[in-house]
Amino acid sequence: MNQFPSPPPVLSGTGLCKSFGATRALDGVDVAVHAGESLAVMGPSGSGKSTLLHCLANIERPDSGEVLLGGERIDQLREPARSELRRTRFGFVFQFGQLLPELPAVENVALPLMLGGTDRRTAVQRARQWFAPLGLAGKEDHRPGALSGGQAQRVALARALVGGAQVVFADEPTGALDQATGQDVIRLLTQITRQQNAGLVVVTHDESVARWCDRTVRVRDGRIVRETAEPGSPAGAGTGAAR
Amino acid sequence: MRALDRTTWTLTWRLLRGGGRHGLLAAGLSVAAAAVCTTLLLLCVGANLGFGERAAHADWRSPVEAKGDRAVAVQAVDTTFRDGEPVTVVDVAALPGAHGSAPAPPGMPRFPAPGEVWTSPALGTLPGEETTGTLGREALSRPGEKVAVVGHRPGDPAMTTERGTDPRRPGDIVTPTRVADFTGERTADGYGAQYQDLMKLATVLVVVPLLVLGASSARLSVSRRDARLATVRLLGATPGRIAGMTAAEALLTGAAGAVVGALGYAALLPLAAEVPVAGGSWYTADLWVGVPTLLAVLAGVVAMVTASALGGLRQVVVGPLGVVQRSRAPRMNIVRAALFVAVLVGYWLMSRGKELDIDMVVYFFAAVFVALSFVGPWVVGVLGSLVTAAARRPATLLAGRRLLDDPKSAWRAVSGLTLAGFVAGFFVLFSIGGGTPWGGPDRLALSVPGDRVAQVQQEVTGRLERAGIDAKVGTDDDWVATGTGARGERQVTATVADPGRLDAARAALTDVVPGRRPVTGEEVGWQREQFAGDFQKATLGVLGAGFTVAIASAGITAAGAVLDRRRTYGLLHLAGTPLRALDAARRTESLLPAVVLTGASVLTGVFCAAPLTLAGGSPQFDGRSAALLAGCLAVGFTGLAAASAASRPLLRTVAHTAGPRPD
Repeated sequence: MNQFPSPPPVLSGTGLCKSFGATRALDGVDVAVHAGESLAVMGPSGSGKSTLLHCLANIERPDSGEVLLGGERIDQLREPARSELRRTRFGFVFQFGQLLPELPAVENVALPLMLGGTDRRTAVQRARQWFAPLGLAGKEDHRPGALSGGQAQRVALARALVGGAQVVFADEPTGALDQATGQDVIRLLTQITRQQNAGLVVVTHDESVARWCDRTVRVRDGRIVRETAEPGSPAGAGTGAAR
Repeated sequence: MRALDRTTWTLTWRLLRGGGRHGLLAAGLSVAAAAVCTTLLLLCVGANLGFGERAAHADWRSPVEAKGDRAVAVQAVDTTFRDGEPVTVVDVAALPGAHGSAPAPPGMPRFPAPGEVWTSPALGTLPGEETTGTLGREALSRPGEKVAVVGHRPGDPAMTTERGTDPRRPGDIVTPTRVADFTGERTADGYGAQYQDLMKLATVLVVVPLLVLGASSARLSVSRRDARLATVRLLGATPGRIAGMTAAEALLTGAAGAVVGALGYAALLPLAAEVPVAGGSWYTADLWVGVPTLLAVLAGVVAMVTASALGGLRQVVVGPLGVVQRSRAPRMNIVRAALFVAVLVGYWLMSRGKELDIDMVVYFFAAVFVALSFVGPWVVGVLGSLVTAAARRPATLLAGRRLLDDPKSAWRAVSGLTLAGFVAGFFVLFSIGGGTPWGGPDRLALSVPGDRVAQVQQEVTGRLERAGIDAKVGTDDDWVATGTGARGERQVTATVADPGRLDAARAALTDVVPGRRPVTGEEVGWQREQFAGDFQKATLGVLGAGFTVAIASAGITAAGAVLDRRRTYGLLHLAGTPLRALDAARRTESLLPAVVLTGASVLTGVFCAAPLTLAGGSPQFDGRSAALLAGCLAVGFTGLAAASAASRPLLRTVAHTAGPRPD
């Protein structure tokens, strides 16, 4: 038993239900992620894992249930506020294609800051600071077309975090990469988000990717059927075993 | 060709049919663009051929002197006016001994007997004459033309008195000429040739934006196709197969569009025939291009669409994992700018101080269009660098980077507008209108030999009194009516008090001087005035077509650009990027080069018109043309903004649907 009560989760979803026509994609899901914690969401195709990510990230509105960010309910916000929330408090890393091909890497990273009102010079300066820690030193002025898949994903990661995101959502972030590069990217993803004290939600098919996360939830038919914690992770230290 | 085998066609057809809403939209736009291209091209070609047909039907009124003793008739021509419209009067007489063998003039069943008057349907009757019969289509260049053929005896004064020609109205007056037949000849000095040149110029001006439209639509199809083609590549298709599929789809959409366009041309022919040019409407048959030309135009359109599609495919090299992105922005060589400057300087040096020659203008326009197409992408690239360097807002930065990234694509979007701007700029200084300096509209004049002035003046006064027409008869030395150029000729004038009785006065004065019909100063310049009016209409038509096609191109290009970036837009939207920022970037990306390039091309047009208009000694700034230019530019920019806005719903749709979907 923990000596101290655990802090409230940075992001939580309670009783989430979502249907597309007659298909029930989510059926009463409860899930939470804490600051600095990484959560892998796994499941077969059609299980509802991407829908869960979309509902948590305020991309989709759940039919019922509620989503709280830092204790504030966010699932009932109107679209402009939802967009702003996604831009300012969340970060996203997708499988591929999220970088604007015309912009050099550093400007891709600076873009969210500029959209938030930061002047260009400051935004670019702040964006540059992310390149060395992510192993991208010297790639600042390269365009996405000149980057490898792994480098492009690291640029996307920098863009997700540059605005001080509280939670980063990654949808199959290693899906288009080879095994070694994929491991490199997920390692950086989990390390950096932990350093930034941001929550991380990763949707993946890949067990080796999930192993980098503190916890894994397995989804089937719109329900969480199993939750496991990696040994040594904060959650694993607490629970110690698969549930 | 293996790339176009049965498998290719089958795959292409299935992909076309299964392309979804956006796929059908893209294919539909391609078909529509090819159809518009075909229709306008056929109408342009039809008008070019139509002028030829018109000229061919008027050739017989330009008699050719018969050689030796082969003459069978005498033919003379004069032009009078009714209600301000020209009436061509052809006087003919069969020569003695040849009456039986003199051929019938075109449009007549037989040679007219002395005293007979045959008139065109639009003329009805000649004042004071009874009409014997109606001239057929063969005698007329257009349905509303007013023509009369008057039969004479060879010894009649009308057939023996020399008639002076007038360089201000070529072809209006022909002195009695002994002819062997009524074939005639094509006159090179008349306005007919200038009309044909004008039509050639209009065709060049319309065809270039049309090519841009065709290329834009083909490029749009490629944008839509690339993801599906990438999948096919993943399944093992060779680049040759992909090229074959692209060609097959372009062939299908191009052929469908060409057929629709040909049907549109056929449907529009009766309407096009009603457009009054060079005095009136057309015979529909004259605007029909004929089956061989029709097929040639259709093949040309299909070839152009296919070539554009393959060119677009080459730019977006399709790999198995999707469209390969360029790793660095292409650099535009400054040689492009140097070439443009060289063309302008060369033109200035060649044209300085020379009279207008439409042939030269046609060639020059073609040269400037090519030069503009070279310098355009370079200007866009420079603009992109400047905007990127100065950008403070994300939308401006995005727009600047996009201009820098693909200046050729940005140029394609605005090239039609730029070319139309050049044309508009050219015509703001250039005007061939202007009043005639030869007297008022109510004063009829006759050219009379100096020794007959008093006699003719008395005869004119008497005839007008008998006809009950109040007029002031006098003499003048102005050159209004045409004489023979003999020394001592003077003008006997009759200024009619009631302008409504002008034609009655004209009829009363017929044959006072054999072979000479009284004219007013305004009527003398009728060909020039008519050409000026048609020139203005042609300018408006070309500008209208140019701007319409340019706006359509811009709209299609904008839609293509959205589809090109649909995945990125979708993901940026998911990441919370406001659509208005993406939209603002698109707007800046299209409007900024349009404003800069169109402004520059208008100035280029003014620059190029200057030597021609300054040749007369002073520039002719035409207020109406300036208003036309301003109006066209306003409509053009509004249309461009609207074209950009029209793809906003598409942006919204792709932003909401192009991202990863829950499985």
